[in-house]
Amino acid sequence: MTTVVVDPITRIEGHLRVEMDLKEIKTSKGTFSVVETARCCGELFRGFEIFLKGRDPRDAVLLTQRICGVCPAPHGEASCEAVERAYGIVPPPVSILSRNIMHGAYYIYDHVIHTYILMGPELGIICKYPPMVPPALGKEGIAKLGLGKSYAKAIEIQRLANQIVALWGGKFPHFASQYPGGLTAHPTPARVADTFARMVKIWEFVAIDMVRDINAIINASSKLGEKISSILDVDFKGLESLGVSTGNFLSYGVFPDYEDYDDWLDPSKRKKALFRSGAWSNGSFKTFDEEKVREYIKYSWYSGESGLTPFKETTIPDRNKSGAYSWIKAPRYNGMVYEVGPLARMINTFGTKWRVKRVHPVTGEDYGDFVYEMRNPNGSVLDRIVARVACTIIIANKMFEWLEAIKDMENEKIINFKNYPSSGEGYGLWDAPRGALGHWLIVKNGVIDHYQCVVPSTWNFSPRDDSGKPGAVEQSLVNTWLPKNMSVKDVCNALYPEKDVNLSPVGINATVSWGDALAAALKPLGLEKLNLEPAGGAEYNTTLALMAVRSFDPCIACAVHVGKVKK
Amino acid sequence: MKTVAVMGAAAFLDTYGVELAKAINEVKDYWHICWLNGAACTGCTISFAQSVNPGLLEIFTSILVGNSGLPIVLPDYMETLQPASGTLAEELINRWKKGSKGRRILIVEGAVPKKGFCQIHGKDFYEHLQDVAPYADHVIAFGACACFGGVPSAKPNPTGVRGVQEFFKEAGINKQVINIPCCPGNPDHLVITLSAVMLGEKIELDKYNRPKVFFGKLMHDDLCPYRPYYDRGIFAEKPGEEGCRYKIGCKGPMTHTDCALRKWNGHLSYCVEVGAPCIGCAEPGFPDNFEPFYKPVAELPAVLGFGPEKIGEGILAATAAGIAIHGIRHVMSKKSEDREKKR
Repeated sequence: MTTVVVDPITRIEGHLRVEMDLKEIKTSKGTFSVVETARCCGELFRGFEIFLKGRDPRDAVLLTQRICGVCPAPHGEASCEAVERAYGIVPPPVSILSRNIMHGAYYIYDHVIHTYILMGPELGIICKYPPMVPPALGKEGIAKLGLGKSYAKAIEIQRLANQIVALWGGKFPHFASQYPGGLTAHPTPARVADTFARMVKIWEFVAIDMVRDINAIINASSKLGEKISSILDVDFKGLESLGVSTGNFLSYGVFPDYEDYDDWLDPSKRKKALFRSGAWSNGSFKTFDEEKVREYIKYSWYSGESGLTPFKETTIPDRNKSGAYSWIKAPRYNGMVYEVGPLARMINTFGTKWRVKRVHPVTGEDYGDFVYEMRNPNGSVLDRIVARVACTIIIANKMFEWLEAIKDMENEKIINFKNYPSSGEGYGLWDAPRGALGHWLIVKNGVIDHYQCVVPSTWNFSPRDDSGKPGAVEQSLVNTWLPKNMSVKDVCNALYPEKDVNLSPVGINATVSWGDALAAALKPLGLEKLNLEPAGGAEYNTTLALMAVRSFDPCIACAVHVGKVKK
Repeated sequence: MKTVAVMGAAAFLDTYGVELAKAINEVKDYWHICWLNGAACTGCTISFAQSVNPGLLEIFTSILVGNSGLPIVLPDYMETLQPASGTLAEELINRWKKGSKGRRILIVEGAVPKKGFCQIHGKDFYEHLQDVAPYADHVIAFGACACFGGVPSAKPNPTGVRGVQEFFKEAGINKQVINIPCCPGNPDHLVITLSAVMLGEKIELDKYNRPKVFFGKLMHDDLCPYRPYYDRGIFAEKPGEEGCRYKIGCKGPMTHTDCALRKWNGHLSYCVEVGAPCIGCAEPGFPDNFEPFYKPVAELPAVLGFGPEKIGEGILAATAAGIAIHGIRHVMSKKSEDREKKR
């Protein structure tokens, strides 16, 4: 059996290794290599839950942001809500709003940077869509060929979004203002105005550019399906047939209604939140129940009891445990594997048909609704990336409502204080951009006695659980085609043989095929063997597999239990 | 860098941003960058992406580094942003090694853990460091973790992490490390340091190998815009209140950084400005020596029988207030000396 290993998987957060055992399928067109089973291996362990013990619970709000520098904000929020629940305090409406504004801007940065900088290059290459390919020919290539046009703009937009986070949080990554009971930054007219000015530019990118780009990818995906189906003689519908997961979708909800925080405080409700909580399975919405979250450790290097709740579970490393193959624990909901992320948020909030308004916040111009119906009920690369864009527009729209509401609240009390009890317990459940995030906390003698995080990438990248079920990503890689001895150039030329890329605007006097054009850009960078992995005397093109993995927006530093995995 | 010291870093950046871009561009053909991530959160990479003057787009499209013509933001090796994955990504480290002698820069993000806790391509992170260190002509540790261990070094330091410099000492690698702390690192600090390295300017370092131009001053003593509150005895009693942030735990009095001047995310804001305390992330010993974050670093001394809360009430003569403040400073610096001795 041939095993293809990609290590490190780049353009994600953290250190991730993926191992894929291949099998061969025979069709009328020949023999092809596809993935039979896969294992996802995180390769970094820092032990946050261990060193948090004994510290001031308020410090966890700042320290847990350092779990991940790509997504620090959700850790800050989840931690803060856990402390608030343990202390028995809630933030005043003005700070629910200011938190929504700060986290909303953060969310847009995160979805934009993933869509374009981390995930985008392969999408651009495989879908023959130059704006999402990195600007390998510099400014001239952007101006004359549109190569990397959206990629370049995304860099500026993510920076603008993070400037909003800094306005309310002091800096980003790792803001300073989130404090149990509220937010330390006042909604001054300057803050509100500076946020508004940046949001208009951001909105235009999100609602206009991003939608144009994702529509191009949706269209290209169908053609891609036809091409690959004919090359392999299989039934492949495009990106909707790639990275197919379980059909179970878990969301904790995100962005509470500032006028009804009681709705938010009960995580089984959250009906008024911008995105609601839910545990979608078998094609329908199910109410979320916090007590159904368990972590299993049969295949993880931990001793102790398996299947406990985060309040009760232990973290006792045991590297010599027989049969174990990972540091990652296996979180399960109601004993089942669930996918988390933007798709889970969209489906639990809106079902499988989405309609998002696009009305310019200043001019009132209507750009037409963005409409999408989920293509694959079990989730796919296409559904995931479209859901991410849809989430981004919904948040960008909502930012203006929040700003409108907060602009007259400058003099309101921003933090509810009380004498903190010396003991208590609480959880904070919040959807991070890459999925459901929970922090569970027990306070004793005024300090942290127990801290447990169950994070999005632990859900998606988990190993097998006690009953042997592989995690969501491990499942989603099965049957992915790994073209044998075909470079990116070869694959692209097979998909798009026509010679229709005119390079003369950048001084190359030729009209070439898409694959040859890419090769011309990749060669000077030393990247001719991009995404090729040697195994069993051949080279396998991992582009499609990488797209499937990256569509889950992996964040490995977040998967805090994670360590090296040995077979 | 001399210019920087004379002008003050903020003025340098405002006036020289564009010049900086040109300067880096002029030396483009000779520099190779290898950016390694160890026990990191990737926050320093994301922070670098927030750079302005030059912005990342400018760096990305105009400023090319290396014979390969790679943009600086896509150094020969950089896990979070580079196009290549897996085997090819690792081969690119070898290309960096073969870069022009004297012009290979190693940037490290994240701390160095003990064996088994951080692996890349089947090799421990510390082995990667040992492998590339001999080829590095300049080593920059970017962010608190790479400099001094940072957050993952918090007691009991479960994975045995340390900063690059300390690891080099242990491993017998005799290399100067330029430490650019803060959590995350400030993109201005890195871009200016990189350009100074490329332009051959001497970078003056303090005893912790931090560039003095950024880390040479105590924020509280020399740079904090809220200092007048302190001198008048006006203190925020709770986070979010106006006044000097000392009583809510601000570690500005013992933190060497230019945050108050340079600020973050395009010179927009910083921790203290949004009503929060400084948590000391520019210093060795962060976070343990600075926790609990919301507790003052030292008890304010009672001078002449009056506590600091009386200072602002006008019942003390100005001289007495002066003495009190002097006393506070004295206690602070003594405390920080004690801390250093403990290290």
